[in-house]
Amino acid sequence: MNLIFRSFLLEAGAELLKAVRAPEFIIPTLGMPVAFYSLFGIMISRGVDGAAYLLATYGVFAVMGPAIFGFGISVANERDKGWHALKRAAPSRGASYIAAKVCSTLLFSSISVACIYSVAGFAGGVALHTHVWASLMAVHLLATFPFILIGLSIGFLCNSNAAVAISNVIFLMFSALGGLWIPIHVFPSAMQGFAHILPTFHLSEIALSVSGAPGERDLSYHVFIVSLMTALLLAITALAWTRQRNK
Amino acid sequence: MISVSSILDANDLQKSYGKVHALKGLAFSIDEPGVIAILGQNGAGKTTLIHCALGLEKVTNDSLTTMGYQPGHVLAKQKTGVMLQDTDLPDLLTVREHITLFASYYPEAFEVDQLISLCHLQDIAERRYKKLSGGQKRRVQFALAIVGNPQLVFLDEPTTGLDIEARRNLWKVIRDFAAQGKTIVLTTHYLEEADALADRIIVMNAGKVVADAKPDDIHKQFTGSMIRCQTRLSETELSSIPGVSGMVTAGRFSELRSQDVNSTLLGLLAADPDLSDLTVYQPKLEDIFTQLSQMGVPS
Repeated sequence: MNLIFRSFLLEAGAELLKAVRAPEFIIPTLGMPVAFYSLFGIMISRGVDGAAYLLATYGVFAVMGPAIFGFGISVANERDKGWHALKRAAPSRGASYIAAKVCSTLLFSSISVACIYSVAGFAGGVALHTHVWASLMAVHLLATFPFILIGLSIGFLCNSNAAVAISNVIFLMFSALGGLWIPIHVFPSAMQGFAHILPTFHLSEIALSVSGAPGERDLSYHVFIVSLMTALLLAITALAWTRQRNK
Repeated sequence: MISVSSILDANDLQKSYGKVHALKGLAFSIDEPGVIAILGQNGAGKTTLIHCALGLEKVTNDSLTTMGYQPGHVLAKQKTGVMLQDTDLPDLLTVREHITLFASYYPEAFEVDQLISLCHLQDIAERRYKKLSGGQKRRVQFALAIVGNPQLVFLDEPTTGLDIEARRNLWKVIRDFAAQGKTIVLTTHYLEEADALADRIIVMNAGKVVADAKPDDIHKQFTGSMIRCQTRLSETELSSIPGVSGMVTAGRFSELRSQDVNSTLLGLLAADPDLSDLTVYQPKLEDIFTQLSQMGVPS
């Protein structure tokens, strides 16, 4: 087998093992979204429309945890320990390490959204066409990438203690103020305005639009903003990467 | 012309962090395999040297090469291994998983099981890294340093903080690996460690090489006692006293190294009856560094 590919597979395996062996990662990232959705999306909203609406926003919430915590905290922690320096001194590939983490994150994101879809379908009575389910899944998984970039930047810029704090703040702020937990239109107008600078708001608008939720939405506008934000985050991540390597 | 590359060649190596000059024109070369101990106090520049040699820190062109390559070149990395200071591996992977992952980075890596027995890790191979003792963790880190079957291995203070038994265990695996014709560069501030392992000792102080010799030659500098006193005698007068092999002035005090304390004390008291604040003690590493940096080692 090709040496580089084998190394990547082992790297991905190591990432998965580290994640599944850490209950402090698994429980909040996989358990919390489905628990919150069951509570707010099914039990409190009490209606198929509400369940369907919140399915789109809670899907964004579900993929955010694995990406921000998986990258932010674990990268900062492994960098602090000197494990990155050891890997850089060895002929290992940084890209392989990042790609392995991306794969592991996508797997956890998929499981997390799949749990929510099951609850929505079976308990919430949400019925969508197969192609709508598929499009929604694609939107939710693609939404992982901007969050991965946020996580990576935190991991490269912060020490492990700061990374835990900052990841939590960003995670909670993006969820609550981006309208992932409660529909954005119940917020006061100032807060609705603030939501526009958060990627979570635009991602949930895209998901809502794809799932055919009621209301007027300009899909291409939100896609444009999300692309712009992702490009900006990519630049920040690249700077953060260079900074920590030259430190 | 075919030239044989040195295993490690430092030629006027400089490294500064802002206003701090960590390495000030370091020059030495390693041409033969063996264990080379780099001895020095904290801040002497030992770790900086290793980071430069690994390509973790940038250096100016040609001031440092390993096996003929610029530091950090992938071909150099494939033949180099390292145990960095203050490094920990991810807690949740087992010893075997760590070794398997690192082995995949190198084209000529050891078989995982072979390495596990080479480093005496059989009993803890399936244990998670978090559950290991300090000494076991260092042995795993040593295993990662040699997993690629490298020609050159850097060990940055491999035994700092270990108890004597754990230290001896690690020395044994280091010695076994070196016996296969490998080059091991290890930094330490324990003279005992340098003594136990090294074929050659390089003493660094304040970013420079102050001594570079075989352990026996260095040892001559460490024998004898230190005599500290206040005296009116001049340096020339002091050096003519029997047994005196070196001296340093520290403020109001003169510090003499003597190979024969009795004769030196008798001679000293005879020459200066008013001498005061006399103390006799075994040389500490600081004394040796001060003396070496001021006088060098007779080779």
